[in-house]
Formats: sequence, C-alpha cells, structure tokens
Amino acid sequence: MNLSSAAILAGVAVDAWLLAFIAIRGRRPWLQATYAACSLAYLALGAAFVGTNEGVLADLREDVALGILLLAHALTAILVLGLIHGETLPRRRSAAFLLLVPVPLLAYLAPTAGWTVATAYQGHVLGGFLVLCLGIALAETVYARYSSRLLAAPSFWLGVGVVALIVAGPVYAYELEYLGQTPLVAANLASPIALACFALVAVQADPFSITSRPSKGQTKPGSLPASDAIIFEEIRPKYALRTAHEESSSGRATLILGRTAPAMAAGGAGFAALLPVRHASLRALTTASEFLATSHGGLVVVEDLADLSALSDWPTTVAAVVRLRHVARGTGSTVVFSTCRLTDPERRALRDLRFTWWSLPDPAREIDAILTQSFGKGAARLLASFSRAHGLRQDELTTEHVPALLDFLTRTLAELSGVVVGTASHGLRTQLEAAASGLRSFAAQTAEEVARGKWPSRVSSESHADLLVTAADYWKGKEMEELFAAADTVGEREPLFERARAVFVEQLGDAGESLLRTQLAHLGKKPEELDPSDLVRIADRASIDLGSLAAIVDIPQEKARIQKQIDSIRQQLELIVEEEK
Amino acid sequence: MEARLRTFLVRSGFLFLISLVLVAGFWYHREFYQIGFTNLLIIGGFVTFLVIWAARLALSGELPRGRPRGELTFSVEEADRVRKAVARLVVRPSEGTTIPGVGHVVRAMYETGPEFGRLYIEDARRAFLSDLTDADARQAGYRTAAELREMGAARWRWRPSDTVTVLRVRPLGATR
Repeated sequence: MNLSSAAILAGVAVDAWLLAFIAIRGRRPWLQATYAACSLAYLALGAAFVGTNEGVLADLREDVALGILLLAHALTAILVLGLIHGETLPRRRSAAFLLLVPVPLLAYLAPTAGWTVATAYQGHVLGGFLVLCLGIALAETVYARYSSRLLAAPSFWLGVGVVALIVAGPVYAYELEYLGQTPLVAANLASPIALACFALVAVQADPFSITSRPSKGQTKPGSLPASDAIIFEEIRPKYALRTAHEESSSGRATLILGRTAPAMAAGGAGFAALLPVRHASLRALTTASEFLATSHGGLVVVEDLADLSALSDWPTTVAAVVRLRHVARGTGSTVVFSTCRLTDPERRALRDLRFTWWSLPDPAREIDAILTQSFGKGAARLLASFSRAHGLRQDELTTEHVPALLDFLTRTLAELSGVVVGTASHGLRTQLEAAASGLRSFAAQTAEEVARGKWPSRVSSESHADLLVTAADYWKGKEMEELFAAADTVGEREPLFERARAVFVEQLGDAGESLLRTQLAHLGKKPEELDPSDLVRIADRASIDLGSLAAIVDIPQEKARIQKQIDSIRQQLELIVEEEK
Repeated sequence: MEARLRTFLVRSGFLFLISLVLVAGFWYHREFYQIGFTNLLIIGGFVTFLVIWAARLALSGELPRGRPRGELTFSVEEADRVRKAVARLVVRPSEGTTIPGVGHVVRAMYETGPEFGRLYIEDARRAFLSDLTDADARQAGYRTAAELREMGAARWRWRPSDTVTVLRVRPLGATR
C-alpha cells in the first residue's frame, strides 16, 4: 500500500468515526441526516480511491465515482447552509436541497461531454458546479462570520473546514496536474479535517436535552398571539411561568428554557435546562428552534434571558433573540422572553427591537395593594403571617397562592368569632369579602389582561390620593389588631416548614435554614408542599450530610458537638412528625 | 509546579508537532517549490508565519483558551482567597460591569492595578442580591450572605433589590 492510499484510508476511518459520533451524540435528526449523507459521500470517495489504487475496485465505473463526487460537493454546501441557517428557518431548510437538482443532469451529460473524475476541477460546466458549491459554502461562512455575533465562532470553524476542502480539492488537483503527477481521483485528503470542523459546530450548537417533552405534532391554539415574540417585563418570571402553565394545560405544546426546573413544569410543559457552556445562546436557539419545528404553533418561554446573557454575553444573546422571532414567525408559534434580572442597558436594547412588550406587575405587590385597600397598613402584617405560615418569602408570592391566602384569611376571621361580635364582626367580614373579591378577580386575569388593565397598586394609590382617612384606616381599631393577632396564631399553628426551620436554625444558626432549603431542593419540593413523610427523609439526609462533615473534623470536642446537633435535629423532627400523626 | 511543568511540556510538544508538519510539508512539496524562488518565498513564508504566530500564542498561555477578555478586580483579601481556590464564586454587580461569558479567561487584578493571575469562567448566573444564600456566600469566601451583602454595600452601594452576577471561576495560575 502506497503513502497516498494509507493517508486516504486513515481519513476514511476518521470520517466513519465522526459519522458514528454525530449519529449517536446529535439531537437534530434533520442535521444528522445531512451530515451522514455528506460524510458517507466522502467516505465512499475515499474507499473508491483506495480500492482503485490497490486494485480491489479495478472496475469502478467512472460515472458512479463522478456522481458521488458531485453529491459530496453539493452536500457540503447544503450542510454548511444548514449549520448556519437551519435554526432560523426550520421549515424552509429543505430549500437548500435544491442544490442537488443539477447533480443527476451533470452526471448524465458527463460521458458525452468527456468530463471525468481526473479532470473534474478543470474549466468546464462540471468543474464550475463543484467550485460553485464550495464557493457558496465559503461565502455563507464569511458572511455569517462578519454579520452575526452568534455565529462568529462556529463560522470560523466552518471556514476552516471549507478552506481545507478547497486546498485539498481544486488547489491540490491543480498542483498535481502542474507537476504532471497522478491526481487523487476524487478523494479529498482534507475531508476528515472538514468533517471534524462541521462536527464541532454541530456539537457546539447541539440542543439542550428536554425533560418531559410534550408529544410531537400539531398542538391546540393557545390564548397568546401566534407568530410573535413577546417580552414580559416583570421583576420575577411569575407571569411567564404562569402563562406557560396555562397554555400547556390548554393543550398547546410548551417548552420552558431556564436554569432550574420550575415546579409548574409538571403541568405538561417541557423543560430544557440551560447548561453552563460557552455557546449557551446558540444552543438555546437550536433547542427552541428544533422544538418549534416539530411542534408548529407551540410556545417557548425563555425564563432566564438574563442568565443567557451572563453565560454567553449580551450581543450574542440578543442575536439569538432576533433569530427566535424569525423562528416564531416561520412556524406560527409564540416565544416569550422574561426581562427578569436584565440590566437597564439590556432592557433598552431589547426595547429597541420593537417586539410586542407587556409590562406586568409583581403579583406579591398587587396582592399587598388589594389587602391594603381593605385592611390598611396592617395588610403587610397579614401577608407576613401568611408567608411565614407557608414558608415563603414575600417576594415569592404569586397569583397561585391566592386560594391559600383566602383560606388563611377565612380561618383567621373564624378564630375571631368568639372575640369580635356585632357590628365590628360584620365590618371585618365585609372587608374580607371585598378583599377576596379583589384577589379573585386579579388572580383570574391573564398576562395579556393585566398588561392592558390597571393594576390594583396603581388604582389604590390614585383613589386614595385625595383622602385624609380611608375606609381601611377607619376600621383600623381594636378589631383589626385582633385580626392580625389571630393571623399570627393561625400562622404559628400551621406550617411544617416553619417548625422544621426553627429546629435547624436553633441547632445550626442561620446556616440551618440554608441546609433545610437545600434538602427541600433535593426532594424537589417547595416549603408549602412539605408533609410529615418528607420530614423523616430530611432528617435522614441531614444526618448523613452532617455526619460526613463530622467525620472530617479532627477535634474531638467539635466532632461530639456536631454529633449532638445531629441527634437533636433528628429527635425534634421526629417529635414534629409524631405530633402531626 | 508540577502542573506548570506539565503545561509547558504539552505546549512544547504541540509546537514541536507543528514544526514537524511544517518540515514534512516542505519535503513533500519539494518538487513544487523547485519551480521557483517566489513560490517558496510566498507560500513557505506564510506557513512559517503561521507557525511563529501559533508559537507566540502558545508561549503566552493564550492557547488553547484564547486571550483573556476583560478583567476582574479584587481586594487583597479576596484575591488571596481566589488564588488559593478557597473561594470559587465571585459576586459582582450586574449593572455597569462587563463580564465575558462562560469558557473565557479574564485577567484577575488587584484593586491597586497589578495582575495576579488569570481566571477561567466555569459558570455564570444572575441573581437578586436578596436571593443569595449562605451557601453562595461561603463559596465566595464569606461566612454568611449578610457579610457578603455588607461588603457589597460598602464597595458598590448594593441594595437588596439589585441584581448581581455570580461567577464560578477556576484560577489558571500566575501571570507569566
């Protein structure tokens, strides 16, 4: 076996390995199929060269080899176009395959025109087509490199691959011809380099894995406008997640893109976790694009746009946002972006894109405003009692908590039935009913309605502006104080989380709460979802975690102290569980 | 020391391989280059230029991760914790701070100016200051979240509603 055959054979082995790698690793069937076709073409050309050179394939037909050569070049251009534009135009990516149309025609004309594999790159129509294919690939790569921050890095590697193919293809053929040596008969020495570069770009843009993916195919239309990208301007992504939940519940294929899975994703929406990788924005784009390509009319909620910006810088992220709008338009879908945790310049840049923009309130603040209308400044105390009872921070309150809040207020009022009587009791009940009505109507509003309507916080501040004494302030007498005290009592009796927290904090200080919340996160539960069986598991896990900490401490007294804390936490948690039975 | 020696050997090996490929290329195309001095000058000169360029990048520590993009400044105490890898998290205000994304290298500077090393960014996220936990603070080299907030309030006038960027970094060694 001569040196050329050995080099090409090694290249064939690399091509085969890359083909298998992409087939196993990839998450984009369309791209994988294109990559497989392209690498198979180069693989066949290499095998044909080695076979012919070594006398194994002495009778290889010229037209077959020429056909594969044409296919390899056309598929190279198609693959490069797919890697650059495939994510933005998922429904139109098949248009690139029109480059295959001249292939059978040129293969048919080759015998009569005298075109052979050995003279493939010479100045005739066939040679022109081959160079045109490589030229298209190179031109698109150069254009993407300088026009898109998102594709700058991938297009560099695409460029390396295409240039390698050009150097080892037409350029090397001219050199060999100039020196009067035998050409490599269609085989391209640089095909492993090019395919490795294409594989690298495919992997860099590989979609994130989707957990609990909704079934593919047509989805039911949702309430959000289709073929659009909507910005949800909110402090925390509460309405974005609620909308995802509502749309998926109504049968619309929905995907949430975020760092950590929201509890609501269990409602039928798929979830893709953003991983800390260099090309996070590009991978988020491919994830959404692939999802919408298989679920036309679906919904993608990008919950953590700010984290995408942190992972792969803002210009790259905003380029992905613009491309996602094209995807939404091309697939009749909706993409929602939350502005949560974006900086002011980033928000301004997003506004400059002139997307549909919905300014949304923080439900926690609005709930507080509604309660304030009825209970005056003491509303904050009521909310604090409720939040404490459910192990929530006040800024975690959403409209989902409204039924629980109403239940809490009703029970608080019931506590007062023996203490507050007559007109005062009637007054409190009237106030509660007014608050309940306001809370229910606020919670029933969709994001679109809230974005258009007046928020309770604005209404209350406007309506109370000219009043010296509000109705709520009028009632803020002894009865109100009793209501707040009753709320504290109800709160104290209620939550498992609060009791567990007290145990952990008592033993471990402030770090105890962090430990408890970490254990809760491991169980995948929220504080308000805690039940006695969870406490047993938390006690077990905390014993193991703290036990391993004690094991690495060398000081006997400290070791004994930690062990004592472990025992104490376990005993107290078991006591709580016993009481709850 | 062992890590630095290993890095040096890997980089040197990489350069040696490139040099071998370069010489092999000239040998393989010897007949082509015989056709004229101009060809040898232009093509050979270009290839040699690329090799020298690669060598420069390799020796400056910019291969394979590229040049540092941006910088992070630290107080002396913070820098000490980062250099000793006691602190893995770096918390910085999101507003008005440009930080390159994950997979990039940044220059780590003392507040007084000198560079003390380079940091590889492994992870980055945004958080409300009020959402930072004690666990985050401990990984950033502080005892509690309250202590971290106090430091930020003194240095950057942080408020609980501010957003911060939390970076997980890995020191790449001292400046060469």
